[in-house]
Amino acid sequence: MLPNFAYVRARTVEEALEHLGGEDTRVHAGGTDLLGCLRDRVFAADKVVSLRDVEGLTGIRRAADGGLVLGGLTTLAEVSRSSEVRGLYPGLAQAASAVASPQLRNQGTLAGNLCQRPRCWYFRGEFHCAKKGGAQCYAVGGQNRYHAVLGGGPCYIVHPSDTAPMLLALDAAVRIVGRAGERAIKLAEFFVLPEVELARENVLAPGEIVTEILLPPAPGLYSSYRKVRERGAWDFALASVALALRSIGGRVTQASVVLGGVAPAPWRAEAVERAIVGTTVDEKTARDAAAAAVEGAEPLEWNAYKLPLIRGIVEESLRRFHDYQPS
Amino acid sequence: MKAADYYLDGPAPETPEPRQRQDRWGETRVVGRPLPRVDAYERVSGSAVYPSDVQLPGMLHAAILRSPHPHARVKRVETSRAEAMPGVRAVITHQTPGADIAWYTDREGATVGHLFEAHCRFEGEAVAAVAAESPYQARDALEAIEVEYEVLPFTSDYETALEPRAPAVRDGGNRASEPGVYERGDLAAGFNAAEVVVEETFRTPCELHTPLEPHGCVARWDGNRLTVWESTQGVYPVQSRVAQVLGLPLANVRVIGHYVGGGFGSKLRPGKYTVIAALLARQTGRPVRLFLSREETLLCAGNRPANRMRLKVGAKRDGTLTAIEFHGLGSGGAYSGSGTGILDWQVRDLYRCDNVRCTTENVYIHAGAQRPMRAPGHPQCSWALEQVMDELADRLELDPVELRLRNLASVSQGRGGIPYTSNGFRECLEEGARTFGWLAARSRARSEDDLARGVGMAGGLWIAGAGGPPSTAIVKYFADGSVNLNLGASDIGTGTKTVMAMVVAEELGVPLDRIQIEHADTATTQFATASGGSKTVPTDAPAVRAAALDCHNQLLDMAAEELAVAPSELKLDGDHVVAVGDPEKRVALREVSDFRRRQVVVGIGYRGPNPEGKATCPFAAQFCEVEVNRRTGEVRVLRFLGAHDSGRVMNRATYDNQVYGGIVMGIGLGLTERRVLDTGQTGKMCNLSWHDYKIPTALDVPADVTSLPIETEDVECNTVGAKGLGEPVTIPTAAAIANAVYNATGIRVWEAPLNATRLAELLAEREA
Ligand SMILES: Cc1cc2nc3c(=O)[nH]c(=O)nc-3n(C[C@H](O)[C@H](O)[C@H](O)COP(=O)(O)OP(=O)(O)OC[C@H]3O[C@@H](n4cnc5c(N)ncnc54)[C@H](O)[C@@H]3O)c2cc1C
Repeated sequence: MLPNFAYVRARTVEEALEHLGGEDTRVHAGGTDLLGCLRDRVFAADKVVSLRDVEGLTGIRRAADGGLVLGGLTTLAEVSRSSEVRGLYPGLAQAASAVASPQLRNQGTLAGNLCQRPRCWYFRGEFHCAKKGGAQCYAVGGQNRYHAVLGGGPCYIVHPSDTAPMLLALDAAVRIVGRAGERAIKLAEFFVLPEVELARENVLAPGEIVTEILLPPAPGLYSSYRKVRERGAWDFALASVALALRSIGGRVTQASVVLGGVAPAPWRAEAVERAIVGTTVDEKTARDAAAAAVEGAEPLEWNAYKLPLIRGIVEESLRRFHDYQPS
Repeated sequence: MKAADYYLDGPAPETPEPRQRQDRWGETRVVGRPLPRVDAYERVSGSAVYPSDVQLPGMLHAAILRSPHPHARVKRVETSRAEAMPGVRAVITHQTPGADIAWYTDREGATVGHLFEAHCRFEGEAVAAVAAESPYQARDALEAIEVEYEVLPFTSDYETALEPRAPAVRDGGNRASEPGVYERGDLAAGFNAAEVVVEETFRTPCELHTPLEPHGCVARWDGNRLTVWESTQGVYPVQSRVAQVLGLPLANVRVIGHYVGGGFGSKLRPGKYTVIAALLARQTGRPVRLFLSREETLLCAGNRPANRMRLKVGAKRDGTLTAIEFHGLGSGGAYSGSGTGILDWQVRDLYRCDNVRCTTENVYIHAGAQRPMRAPGHPQCSWALEQVMDELADRLELDPVELRLRNLASVSQGRGGIPYTSNGFRECLEEGARTFGWLAARSRARSEDDLARGVGMAGGLWIAGAGGPPSTAIVKYFADGSVNLNLGASDIGTGTKTVMAMVVAEELGVPLDRIQIEHADTATTQFATASGGSKTVPTDAPAVRAAALDCHNQLLDMAAEELAVAPSELKLDGDHVVAVGDPEKRVALREVSDFRRRQVVVGIGYRGPNPEGKATCPFAAQFCEVEVNRRTGEVRVLRFLGAHDSGRVMNRATYDNQVYGGIVMGIGLGLTERRVLDTGQTGKMCNLSWHDYKIPTALDVPADVTSLPIETEDVECNTVGAKGLGEPVTIPTAAAIANAVYNATGIRVWEAPLNATRLAELLAEREA
């Protein structure tokens, strides 16, 4: 059951920030992840500050540069339905609609999806694991079917978000507001690996709020998101791949390929990008590029299947891109 | 062999006098139709009161403190802090007077564990319990109980539990029983005669029942009389255990279970929670509600054991089976020796084979005890047997359906060769294949693109499903022609009430909306065994029919006097009685003076014995089509067909529901479900939630599912001609999927569940 905590519904960002000073104060957006964490005692909260009533944190609008600004409290359902998102960044609509289930997408927010905590069962369960300050990562010698094959150590979580790999591929930025002020940083600088920060997955300081997600303009952009899961809904990615490509005459000029569900942070597959830039991504290129996706992977006892899975979806996604090109 | 968990021992009650006409039904007017459930409105509107909905004035809320370790000794329990907390009304442990109750017994009946165990042999063992004014206060109090555990080494892998270095679960070691051996014919000679032999090792995961309504009850004392509202599949088994444990006369224990939000076998018996609620209610003098949390239902409310099966089958070129050797291993946890219960039954019984040897081994592990789960043992065995049959067909270049048809058994070989009362296995296979379009789908060229399609099938039978005595039902016929049907059976979501009302309607011509049902209450309804083993319809419908006929005959007797016509010349016609040959001679029942004087006619019906020297079993064949992504190993089930011989179809709608539900559960075993223990580190359960323990969602189940009843006429099994259905429907499903995946990809997956986490690698290995 949920432990006791104080609950505040802030009206303004300033008011929220005022409440968010202490060690165990928590931002509450849709609550779909936060309340589960509290109920399972993953971490404590003495005060929960809801952003639901804060004006101006929801909605999707065009930016001056032609990109999009997505309010951090915009629900995943709104993101997946938005005609602007679908038109400009179809991969993001695909990623948002691949999340969880309709109920969770109606309640869960985009910023919440980026900031959600990992799903590792040792982290979530009654195990005093390294990430929670304990001595060991139980995944290393334990049940690691769903754990990292890339970028792991000393903790082997995978980043759970479906929108994060896509937003990273789209070169999105987040606007962060804290007591110390406001900044916008690229998602590439937002997520951190456990070797840098064991206890958290991103650079947010306690009490900081993600207010907006900023997408750069999209002319000529192709984007897609492909996710593999064990069951059709209500399931995190075993592996996923986000593509954001630009091409001229079928030849790739710019590529961003990001893997999800396989590393503690959304994982940029630079070798794949290198292998396809300058090519038309024919069959052989796609296959070779896909093989490069798992370069450096270090599977644990039970998760080696992720390697062929990654190769499979990278190849499939590149082939889709190729077939999509008007000839 | 008997599915012992399902049956109570004891003599069958008297069968009704033969003067009751019990000939088989010809054309039926009501039975068989797809009628909506009599309690559909209550269930859908939320007005049905499930046990977990019961709210009583002054009711307290209870919770159980459980061992977080798979193996530990409780050295000290300190409850004073918890007792002093606001709202806390009682805290009990094994030291509490009256709570030191023996709970687990071994096969000899000796006590091997208690209600609150100081030696915890699985994660989730009960250590203490609390009753408080609110559920939150109860849970808070649990956290304030200080327990000092001596953590001990554990065994959680059943496959290595017999190794010398494996820590012992029980004093006698980890072997739960002597290996079970079944043998017929000459195995060596059988394999010598074989021209092809297939041998493989198979694994199925530990599955959890995880019913929507958690396990639990509300308990209230009135003086020395205890009433329990329990979420259960059988009120009488709960009554007898509770009475026995608390030393009460049966008459003092009333158990009510009008609705139950799913059980799947895990609610055939009461749990510790039932007795703990009763103890806390007695101690506090208040009603107590004790329902498990979702996590507790996953952790310690039963499971289908994981199994490792080695199967070796020999056959002649023409497909005739010459020998089958089966070895099964499993664990029922720390307190059940039933890790392989009826696991080998289909090997013994489904296909004709003279030379068979089955051995089963049972071990203890430090994990929660198994409870029977929908067709115990059978889906696991099917996973092995039906894949081997498929492989054999492949090697012999025979169609899989044809291979099975060549090996049909004419008698129940596992029972020493006695005949079946009916056997529709051939029709299941033939008509199932025809309706599915099997041959056309099989011969379709394999496509070479990313998505490979394939079809597969599997057969099966269920050991039980005959039902049998005892069962008693009462039909009260009121002066206005409305009826009260009274029986003890639970309706576990299968539509029992609806089917039983239809039987009454069939015999008495009363419309369903004029039939009220009282059921599942030990104080006011008649004796029934728990609803399990697919036996509720074949057990209770004949008793209900007998009661309706008893009523019917009494009404005719009364009218006979009034009309001065022999009862044998009369028939019921709505609320009138008419002479068969002379429609002029008719009288309204309400005008019959004898009936008016009595106002109510009571008919009593008993379930008579099953035919001697015969076996009654439901048979099944299922067919499916899948699509496999060749790059990733993702499997999508496109369509399913279940052809089931369960005798008479009592209600086509509830029948089809069982077929759909069974297939959905089978898809879970085949594709998504497995309990994960942290073997080798902590022994604790890893996937203690509904997103980590993955039951299939709507998107994992095809919209295209066909239920094809094979309605064999069984005039011997019982007086309604129906055999069990609820369990056979989930037996062949997983194996049919595996065979379809093989058909699509040429890859066999011997270990369930089968999905991208296994197939991706196997596909890649083959590419390389
Ligand atoms: C059963 C289940 C299945 C799921 N499956 C998937 C899936 O397949 N794919 C997937 O991507 N996700 C999945 N999720 C996660 C779900 O998408 C997230 O829970 C949701 O997006 C979080 O949004 P929220 O608004 O509810 O966040 P909350 O629960 O309110 O917050 C989540 C975390 O982020 C912090 N936070 C929230 N908003 C902000 C903000 N604006 N600034 C700073 N910090 C913030 C909170 O403090 C908290 O720690 C699943 C969740 C569940 C429960």
